[in-house]
Amino acid sequence: MKVTVKLIGPLIYEGGFSEKAVELPGPMTAGELSAFVKIDKKRPTIITRNGRAVANSDLIAEGDRVVISHIYSGG
Amino acid sequence: MKGWTGFILRVNLTDKTWKKESFTEEFAQKWVGGRGFAAKILFDELKPGIDALGPENKLVVALGPIAGIPAPNTGKVVVAAKSPLTGFYGDGNLGSNVSSHLRKAGYDALIVEGAADKPVYLSIEDDKVEFLDASEMWGQGTYHSNEWLYKKHGKNLGVLNIGQAGENKVLFAVIRSLEGRAGGRPGIGAVMGSKMLKAIVVKGTKQIPQADPDLMRKLGVEGLKKARELDQKSGWSKQSTDAVLGWCNEVNGLPVQNMRHTAHPEAYKLDGEHLNDARIATYGCPSCTMHCGITIHDKEGRESELDYENIGMLGPNINVFDLKQVGSLNYLCDDYGLDTISAGAVLGFYADAIERGAASGDFKFGDAEKGKTLLWDIAARKGETGNLLADGALKAAKVYGKNSADYAMQVKGLEMAAYNCKSIPGQALAFGVAAIGGHHREAWIITFELKHSKRESYGPEKAAKVIELQRIRGGLFEMLVACRFPWVEVGYELENYPKFFNAVTGLDWTLDNFWTAADRAYSMIKLHYLREFPNATRRDDYPPAVWFDKSNADTEGPQKGVVLEYDKYDSLLQHYYDQRGYDQRGIPTMETLKKLGLADEAAAAAKVAKLN
Repeated sequence: MKVTVKLIGPLIYEGGFSEKAVELPGPMTAGELSAFVKIDKKRPTIITRNGRAVANSDLIAEGDRVVISHIYSGG
Repeated sequence: MKGWTGFILRVNLTDKTWKKESFTEEFAQKWVGGRGFAAKILFDELKPGIDALGPENKLVVALGPIAGIPAPNTGKVVVAAKSPLTGFYGDGNLGSNVSSHLRKAGYDALIVEGAADKPVYLSIEDDKVEFLDASEMWGQGTYHSNEWLYKKHGKNLGVLNIGQAGENKVLFAVIRSLEGRAGGRPGIGAVMGSKMLKAIVVKGTKQIPQADPDLMRKLGVEGLKKARELDQKSGWSKQSTDAVLGWCNEVNGLPVQNMRHTAHPEAYKLDGEHLNDARIATYGCPSCTMHCGITIHDKEGRESELDYENIGMLGPNINVFDLKQVGSLNYLCDDYGLDTISAGAVLGFYADAIERGAASGDFKFGDAEKGKTLLWDIAARKGETGNLLADGALKAAKVYGKNSADYAMQVKGLEMAAYNCKSIPGQALAFGVAAIGGHHREAWIITFELKHSKRESYGPEKAAKVIELQRIRGGLFEMLVACRFPWVEVGYELENYPKFFNAVTGLDWTLDNFWTAADRAYSMIKLHYLREFPNATRRDDYPPAVWFDKSNADTEGPQKGVVLEYDKYDSLLQHYYDQRGYDQRGIPTMETLKKLGLADEAAAAAKVAKLN
């Protein structure tokens, strides 16, 4: 299953990339995908799937665009 | 009294006099400092209906009990006056060495009254106050005048100054400091200009009175270390506030083309990653643990300091996607002393008004070069267009007519910050009920809305979150006078702030005490509003009509077809009023005012307007 993962802010330096297509070994939840791209599980994040926020337990589907971001607070 | 110096410096520019006035501990504990002091002083001392640009208006520079004391991000000052842009109380905060120097000079606040008949600047050095000739600086930008002051007085002092925009009374002129900081979005720089006051320089050498200086030193040093560690661990400072640009673009919250659109394929060129790559230096305020000012070389090779708000509003909001050009527009705003958020909103509005046939002109979205020319026209009030746009988007819309006020992106006259909320109801509410008009400083709840609620919800949980954040961001931090970033961005615990407060004052406050003080300050500002606008209605707390207009909805993407809904927004507003103890107009009830200890202020307001 192939998805596009976009990291935001400091996660770029943690994950080592800004945006890339990722081939997943099998079905994954949003939280599992975050760990798969090496984002620290302890870090509070907000994950969106195709522009909509999802829970860590929500399943990711083929072709999704998943954005993982540090939780911002609007400056 | 400990923690506060117990004194206010009152200066009169008309007759060049000054006096040192004491205040009571009761006043200090009731209003804390910063925004609290300013709101109360201006309510008591300004008559409703005065000309904000006349000598009867007063400029207040206010500090709080931890301002200027080494602790996380305490190098800030609040500047306030009756706003010429919104017509009621306005304020802002900015990083400045004035924070520590004014306190060390022996004052918690400065009140500037009257107006000079020729350009002056004020020099405060402990108990010495001088009115000095500013004619050499008049007509100069903020960079030049700041440098002029440094050459004359040395760099070991605090400076507040204005550029040409303030001199020319542009209604969204700001006050500047440290060559990179700005505050007072609702035209507080214009108030300074109306008084022919080019700058204020402050040098203090005394000790700030503290109940337990040893404890405060320990807490402050530990706090600075912890806040720095949190920032380094999170990596926040790598992109600073601009990291949110890429995220806003992904979740359809970016201001594009005067907020007509919510995302743009070229927005990534302005994101935090690109800003970090272009970084040439980093700047922060005094006592800062997480410097947010990233400078780049602009199109002309100058050093321009950027953050998300100025990039968002001078970039995608006017369809400029070249970071160097955004840097140039930002540099000019900073030099002229224009608020970057309002400047971007006004340029976006003007381009939109031309496209929609309400205004004439040759400015188009994406034209950075023409934008630069317009910024000078605005700062100098040059020509019919420059002079009109210098009054802000709403006043320009009233002249243009043709329903252009519907897409003048402001609330209560103050242009909104860089979040496009046509499908984000809670943040739209946050703008609607921000104390001084469309400001993001008071509350920002977009990640909460998406992660802990439902984006499309207009439920009471969003009103509650806005109030919670107003108490913290617009209350605690604006009254103590410290930067919210260590808490809001990297999780430095809020509970540290009562500890600082108690160490310097000897009191035993909890966060609950601050929430009461914050509610009091918010109600005080509402009374300012009511006194100036006795016919206030709940419609005053609505964002612009275009956010409710189906024809302005996204035509693609996950928010396709979504805009705010009037009846639902109104019910969300009612949740806010109910939780706040406000009436149907959004004005605190008598019961609420009495509970907050504002019976006298209510009686004063009741002389000119109805209270329920």
